[in-house]
Amino acid sequence: MSDYPQNCNVFYMSDTRMLDQGTTPIRFARGWHCLGLASTFADGKPHAIHGFGTKLVVWQDSKGELNVLDGFCRHMGGDLTQGEVKGDHIACPFHDWRWGGDGKCKEIPYARRVPLRARTQRYETAIVNGQLMIWNDPEGSAADRDILPPELPDVLTDKYTPWSWHTREINGSHCRELIDNVADMAHFYYVHFAFPTSFRNIFEGHTATQFMESTGRPDKSGGYSDASSTLKSEATYYGPAYMINWLTVDYKGFVTEVILINCHIPTGPNSFTLQYGISVQKPEGLDQKTVDYIAERYTESFGDGFLQDVHIWENKVAVQNPLLCEEDGPVYQLRRWYEQFYTDAAEVKPEMTDRFEFEVDTTKANEYWHAEVAENLAKRAAEESVSH
Amino acid sequence: MASFVPTSADTLEEQRLYTSARMVDVQCLDCLARVRAKKNSEHHTSIQWNADAVAACPELGRRDGSSDSRDGHRGCPRLLASIDAAVRDGNLPVGAEDGY
Ligand code: FES
Ligand SMILES: [Fe+2]
Repeated sequence: MSDYPQNCNVFYMSDTRMLDQGTTPIRFARGWHCLGLASTFADGKPHAIHGFGTKLVVWQDSKGELNVLDGFCRHMGGDLTQGEVKGDHIACPFHDWRWGGDGKCKEIPYARRVPLRARTQRYETAIVNGQLMIWNDPEGSAADRDILPPELPDVLTDKYTPWSWHTREINGSHCRELIDNVADMAHFYYVHFAFPTSFRNIFEGHTATQFMESTGRPDKSGGYSDASSTLKSEATYYGPAYMINWLTVDYKGFVTEVILINCHIPTGPNSFTLQYGISVQKPEGLDQKTVDYIAERYTESFGDGFLQDVHIWENKVAVQNPLLCEEDGPVYQLRRWYEQFYTDAAEVKPEMTDRFEFEVDTTKANEYWHAEVAENLAKRAAEESVSH
Repeated sequence: MASFVPTSADTLEEQRLYTSARMVDVQCLDCLARVRAKKNSEHHTSIQWNADAVAACPELGRRDGSSDSRDGHRGCPRLLASIDAAVRDGNLPVGAEDGY
C-alpha cells in the first residue's frame, strides 16, 4: 500500500531511508486529563480551558464542586466561558440559558419550558493531589475511577512545598512527541545534559514507567547538568496524559525528594497544552527562606528541562518509522502501549496492555559520552589559558 | 480503528522487527511463567509478558493491586535469573541484528 509516487525513486538511491510522517489521529485519547490546580477554578467565575479541539468551561458551584462542560452553548453557540455563574449554573452571555454541571439545561428565563434535548457535553471530574482531573472518551463511556492517578500522601501537607504550577502551549506537534520521552535514553545526554547511567522501562495496563539514574554533565550548564548532583528518577504515566515523577536528588550528599507532575491536554490534532507542577519535600532543620530557595532552584531546573524538550518538539517532524540503534529505548513498544488510548475500548489488543520490560544497555554510550565531555573540558581549559 | 496511520507498508515491517523479531521463549525456572525475551548485549534485556505469564508468576502476584502502589514497578528477580541461565545454556543468544 505504498502511497509514495513511484517516480520519487528516480531521485533517490534505493537504499535511501524515507521518513514516514504518517497521519495523526483525529480522535483524542481516552482517559483522565488534568486541567490544572483545583484552587485556580474556585473563585465563582467561569474559566476557559482549551482542550479536545474545543473550549471547555470550568466553574465551581455553591457546594464547592467543580463542573466542566463544553464551552459553547447548545442554543446558538454562545461562549459560556464569557458567561456568569448564577447559583449552581453557568449562564450563557447570549440569551441567559442556564446549564448545570450534569450537562442539562436547567432554566431558560424567558421560556415556558426547556427543550428535552437540551443536553450538552459534560466531563466527569475528580480531584487528585489538589488537581482537577476530567475523563475524556470519544465513545462516551462512564469515567473509570479505578484508573485515576494515585494520591500522593505527603504532598499538600506541611512536609512538602505547595505545588509550583506552570502552563505552556505547544503548537505544531502531537502530544505523542511528549510521550516518546519515556523511552528515550540518549536525549537525556544531548537535550538535558545528563549522563543516564541506568535506564529501564515497564509498560503494563494503563501505566508506562521509566526508571533512570543520571549524573549531570560538567561541560554544560542549565537543565539537569550539574556534575555534583545525581538523580534517581521513577516516572509513571497513569493513562495517556498524566505522569508522576518521583525524583531523589543527591547534591553533594544532601538528598532531596522532589515530585514532578507532567501532564497535558490535547488542544488540536497538532497542539497541546503542557502543564507541570513541582513539590519539594522540605528538608528538616532549615528555615522557611532556605526551603523556599531550594524549592525555587528545583522548579527552575526541571522547568528548564521541559523547555529544552519543547524546543525540539516545536521544530521536529512526526515519524512513524523511527530508526533505532542498539542504545535506544523501546519506542515502538511504548507507542503500541499508547495506541490503546486511541482505540475503541472493545478493540484494545492484549499486546497494547501486556506487561513489557526493557533495560537499555548504557555502558558503551556512557564510555563515548565521558570521552566527549573530557575533550570538551580540555578544549575549554585550553581556550581559557590562552585568554588569560 | 487505527489512529497513527503509517503511510508506508515498510513501516509495518519495521514495527514487527522492533517488537517481535528474535524474541526467544524463556521458561521461568521457578514457576510456570513463559515469556519472550531478547538480549542485544550483555546489559540489555527485553521481556514480553502475556496475561498467562503474569498470572503464573508468584512474584508479580504478590504486588499490591491498588492503582496507588508503586509495587508493580519491580520486576521478578527469579525470571531475570532464568533469563541469565538461558544465556549461559546457550538458549538465548546475546547480540543485536541491525539495531533490533
Ligand atoms: S446561545 Fe447561549 S443562550 Fe443563546
Ligand atoms: Fe526530555
